[in-house]
Amino acid sequence: MAKVRDRGVIHIGLLDGSTGQSAKTQRFVRRIAQAAKAKPVFVTGQEEPLLLRLEEGELDLVLGTFDQKTPWGTRVTVGPPLERIVTGQAHQQQLAPAMRNGENAWISLIEREVRHLAPEAQ
Amino acid sequence: MTTNYPPAVEAGIARGRKLEYWTLAWLTTVIPLMYVVMGSSQAMKTVWIEDMLGFVPPLAYLLSQRLERKPPTAAFPFGFTRVNGVAFVVSSVALAMMGIYLLFEAIMTLVQQEHPTIGTARLFGRDIWLGWPMIAVLLWSTIPSMILGRLKLPVAKAINDKVLHTDADMQKADWMTGIAAMGGIVGIGFGLWWADAAAAGLISFGILHDGINNMRSSTAELVDGAPRNLEDVNLSEEGELLKKRLELEYPGAIIRLRETGRVIRAQAMGAARYAPRPLEALWPGDSDRSWRFAELSFVPNVENDEVAG
Repeated sequence: MAKVRDRGVIHIGLLDGSTGQSAKTQRFVRRIAQAAKAKPVFVTGQEEPLLLRLEEGELDLVLGTFDQKTPWGTRVTVGPPLERIVTGQAHQQQLAPAMRNGENAWISLIEREVRHLAPEAQ
Repeated sequence: MTTNYPPAVEAGIARGRKLEYWTLAWLTTVIPLMYVVMGSSQAMKTVWIEDMLGFVPPLAYLLSQRLERKPPTAAFPFGFTRVNGVAFVVSSVALAMMGIYLLFEAIMTLVQQEHPTIGTARLFGRDIWLGWPMIAVLLWSTIPSMILGRLKLPVAKAINDKVLHTDADMQKADWMTGIAAMGGIVGIGFGLWWADAAAAGLISFGILHDGINNMRSSTAELVDGAPRNLEDVNLSEEGELLKKRLELEYPGAIIRLRETGRVIRAQAMGAARYAPRPLEALWPGDSDRSWRFAELSFVPNVENDEVAG
């Protein structure tokens, strides 16, 4: 959190191009940028490279569709869902933010904003 | 053979039983609460596993003091008093394992630089930092542990029960770990990811030290070692005084002592005269503790059997 504030930039990874275009996602990014007093900068890419960059600390946040039982669940913190997606598959999918483990102030901020925006998805 | 204890010792054993039932009842509330709040916190998971290990000494005590009352059988002609010694080994291994596990987890966390994650949850319409319910459960895990440990120690000393004493050590390990975990969670809240692991690592040395000492004492008892003190692995002062007293009483005899549970059994090898006396008359220390001297046997001297030291 302190690093985001000092830099004045939030590096956000988007898992596929459409994620950033959803109205809910845009509202969410605006709110966290306001709360962190930082400007969002986006990169798009595939799940594994983006989550690896998140783990390394190059990205502050990754937004995208995750399986509810994603194997990345122990390596990064997948926050509460902005939206639950009905796929007809055995596992439910959700549009959710992923944060780096241990960044507790940042995680708390993200989780609060998600719940504020999407209480029906919790 | 079963041992008949004086009423004061029987009352102490019963009090120990009551304290262990309280311990089990309290642990059955701590374990599920801890599971609910621990989330993905490795520190909380460590405390949870340690609390589960905390079941071992009370169960060992309750089972052993029930079995040791059984009369001798054809298969077990000496009776079941040594069950207390087995329970002592089991309890001390549990304590040592707690220390090893705590130390291992602390080192792995620090070496791998694992940053514990403690997020938030929505409770009663508010976003609550999960550290707060964790601290609340840790308080419930810590305070009764301190109280039970302090209550068990004097009883363990009065009845010379090493299983109960080991359990009191386990209680001490529990509350020290709980305090370290609380400090660690507060530290994590301030961004000090290493706080919990560092505190747990320091505490683990003390727990491991107690566990190893208890293991040394318990295994010494199982192999008929000389009586040890309750609190450490040194030879028991009561035992040494008794040995000297018997050496005076039976000059020329080789006196050997061993412990079976709470009591001491003596053997006079090669005594010039067979002159049994009431055991309480031979006890050199506090007469209220003479119940500890349970048996004196006389055996011929075996020519090649030398006692060193």
